Amino acid sequence: MENKDEFLKKMENLQVPAASPHHHPKMVKMAILNAERSAALGVWLIIVPCYFLFCVCMYYYFHLKMGWFGSMLMLITGLDKTPGIDFIAPVIFFVLPVVCIIINLLAITHASYQKIDPEKSKVREFSFTLKIKPWNILLILLSLAVLFVFLSFALTESISIKN
Amino acid sequence: MKLNWFTRKGIIYLPASLIGWVIMALAAAYAVYTFIDIDSRSHSVSDTLINFMFNFLLIGLVYTIIAYFTEAKKPAD
Repeated sequence: MENKDEFLKKMENLQVPAASPHHHPKMVKMAILNAERSAALGVWLIIVPCYFLFCVCMYYYFHLKMGWFGSMLMLITGLDKTPGIDFIAPVIFFVLPVVCIIINLLAITHASYQKIDPEKSKVREFSFTLKIKPWNILLILLSLAVLFVFLSFALTESISIKN
Repeated sequence: MKLNWFTRKGIIYLPASLIGWVIMALAAAYAVYTFIDIDSRSHSVSDTLINFMFNFLLIGLVYTIIAYFTEAKKPAD
């Protein structure tokens, strides 16, 4: 009997956790694409432009006038001047980095737009989450660098031709 | 439609079915063909390697894109 009374007392004195209906619910933030798969494809998407930029840096900025780096430069400029395959250079330096940025962003971001308070219909919340995945972020930054270099080169080229 | 032709190890996709092996063999054969073709037209070893490296990376890219869309889905833990 004593045990039963003690048990009842304990049950009566139990503190129930306060659950607020307005409290923000926890949610699973699923990304659209898998981060590892996106990183694996992203490496292959930007390996060619990065290799080319590496050769350009070695040739111009570090003054390594080796046949390897100069020939790579000639290969890309040759592609640009050959009719029929002149689209390859813009695809490599613009389309592939853009695709790399998109797939890696979709793998590490989550955005939601929802009501906070069900009673107040006008109050809404937009939340944007960025997962810290170092490889995906590194690939995005590298792709942005490639895009910046390519666009700045194209802009200066067109300005110099006009002048 | 589920296509389980490849499995991923790091950044490399390996064949997991007969069709995967056929695609990999075709990519390897095309890489060898481009190497022989470039070598017959180039004047030096570095000339061959530069042109082949460029083609090799593009072949790798196309192979990886095919493998990306036909990869076997891993079971959830």
